[in-house]
Amino acid sequence: MSDPDRRRIGRWLTWWLVLAAVTMALLPLRTRLDKAHVALVFLLVVLGGSSAGGRLLGITLAGAAFALFDVVFVRPYFTFRVADPFDWLVLVTFLVTGIVAAQLLERQRHEAEVARQRAAEIDRLATLGAETLNAPRPADALQGIAEVIRQAMQVDRCEIELGDASAPDPGRPGDQTLPARERRVALDIRGERVGTLVLASARPFLLSRDQERVLGALSYYAALGVERIRLAGAQEEAESLRRADRLKDALIASVSHDLRTPLTTIKGIADEIARGGDHTRAYVIEDEADHLSALVGDLLDLSQLAAGQMPVTTALNTADDAIGAALQRVEGAMQGHEVSVKLDADWPMLVGRFDLAHTTRILANLLENAAKYAPAGTPIVVRAWRDDRWLFFGVEDAGAGIAAEERDQAFAPFVRGTQARRGTRGTGLGLAIARQLATVQGGRLDYEPDATAQSRFVLRLPAATASAASESL
Amino acid sequence: MSASQQADPGVSVLVVDDEPQIRRVVRNALDGIASRVLEASSAREGLDLAASVQPSLVILDLTLPDLDGLEVCRDLRAFSSVPLIVLSARHSDQDKAALLDAGADDYVTKPFSTLELQARVRAQLRRASRSEAANEKLVAGGLEIDVARRIVRRDGVEVHLTPTEWGLLRAFVANRGRTLTHRQLFNAVWGRAEGDAQQYLRVYVGQLRRKLEADPVRPKLIRTDPAVGYRFDPDP
Repeated sequence: MSDPDRRRIGRWLTWWLVLAAVTMALLPLRTRLDKAHVALVFLLVVLGGSSAGGRLLGITLAGAAFALFDVVFVRPYFTFRVADPFDWLVLVTFLVTGIVAAQLLERQRHEAEVARQRAAEIDRLATLGAETLNAPRPADALQGIAEVIRQAMQVDRCEIELGDASAPDPGRPGDQTLPARERRVALDIRGERVGTLVLASARPFLLSRDQERVLGALSYYAALGVERIRLAGAQEEAESLRRADRLKDALIASVSHDLRTPLTTIKGIADEIARGGDHTRAYVIEDEADHLSALVGDLLDLSQLAAGQMPVTTALNTADDAIGAALQRVEGAMQGHEVSVKLDADWPMLVGRFDLAHTTRILANLLENAAKYAPAGTPIVVRAWRDDRWLFFGVEDAGAGIAAEERDQAFAPFVRGTQARRGTRGTGLGLAIARQLATVQGGRLDYEPDATAQSRFVLRLPAATASAASESL
Repeated sequence: MSASQQADPGVSVLVVDDEPQIRRVVRNALDGIASRVLEASSAREGLDLAASVQPSLVILDLTLPDLDGLEVCRDLRAFSSVPLIVLSARHSDQDKAALLDAGADDYVTKPFSTLELQARVRAQLRRASRSEAANEKLVAGGLEIDVARRIVRRDGVEVHLTPTEWGLLRAFVANRGRTLTHRQLFNAVWGRAEGDAQQYLRVYVGQLRRKLEADPVRPKLIRTDPAVGYRFDPDP
């Protein structure tokens, strides 16, 4: 037996006992009582019963009280017969009053229940409204909405599917006529399908008319949530388009100069040689071609980075390896600068989780810059050290560094410092690429001069432990 | 460029590239190295020639009109162990590792210099001529490696290596002059077993270097090819 059943039976028993007790209490006094007294007391029991136990209890109590009234309190006692015909009037009036009162109470209770449900619906809608508007990420909002709908519809699962206006129309709230395990509802915004709401339960279910009505309102919020995701996506796309556009402008301005200058040189010298000029001038063509090749490579990398498509393969790597590979790469480009490497001796091996190729590229770029801008013959220092979280690489040179007013711009593409404009040559993309390569590995590249080094770049990458590598001997 | 150098009479090189300009550049670069240069302009023609002529070395362009470069590598390896150098304009490191895994011995990225290509070709020819020497004693720059007896001496002093370091060194010596990808090294040292140890490969290489190299950040024996792997080159 379920709990509500047990409570109902308890209430019935209680009120029948009350009726019996009242009858017993009035019995010794019946000769001194007026019929109106009895009627009023019984009416009180009927009202109490119907307000506590509902219409059916009220009406049966009224019937029983009517019988008791007649048999026990109206002469001749203990028969249904009534001596005074006016007593019938009293009895019938009592019965009718009892039944009407039970009816009225029932209606009022129903209205109160409806009002309570409405209030709950409004609460739900308010929650949904807040979910739709407040969740920081649109996807979270949608998940919140789905959960509220699931609770309101009392189903096992509720999902909101995005898009696909071409799929067959799954129907609208109010359409369902037969129980089913799954129910699909179209989500519309201004007449356009934006998604589908899917309700599912382990057992076939049919929503009540009220639930269908609520579903209509809730699915509108779900549609708004879907719309919000769409708009957020469109906004992100617009932002990345704007970024790409800015890069493109800078690119066009730079390419016209940086690509055409070497091409002009190549063309001119090729022409000279073809006319029987100095053949050794062909080496200039080779140099210019190398420069163009570097520029094309950098442009491709930059566009890949800007599009977020640069492949990154992070693995456990050592600082030894990254510095070694970078030194190997810049061999011959150091223009007489002595490079010394200083590794933190507190660690048997400096290990981090990073992409070796990208890191090598960053360090090689910093080393080349140092060689280009520091006064001839001055030393360059590469350091590696770490703390709990980061593995640091520092590249220091004896140059003047970057002027304070140029530091913000130093990492932007196509920017060359005032130093760089004096004769040295690069693509103007090196630092921009280096910084983005650091970022895609979960690290950072900054210009951080300190007391000992006026010109110092610091690269930080996620550190790692290599305890498992300390193999037993 | 030493054009005066005499070509080895037994050396024939097959160049597979659909661009006549590139074939010409490669042919000129091989002048003085190879006595005979064969040319093919498609993958199928190249594979046929490789099977019928059995050249000393193959230079293969990765982007051919008829077949994917990786497939050509695998097809060639199905019947031949000829040294194979791949030319590639794509400079993604993943591509390079995949190429080496598919059986290429080395790769050169376009645009390349003649000198660079010549150096790679010579290194591969040299490697091929002593490929049977996996178990020899190796002496290079103060380092003595006796693979059969598992002894390594640096400047006459015996160096103690852990089993993993030995596994690495054995794989390096057996493939000297050739870039081994990370995967090839995994397979050589740990077999095909999946395991935690593999992720520490680069750390083990670092430890091995600290034991063998005079200056571990300026390695002369075990060179790093970032994102691709390592090359053991005691006599580059």
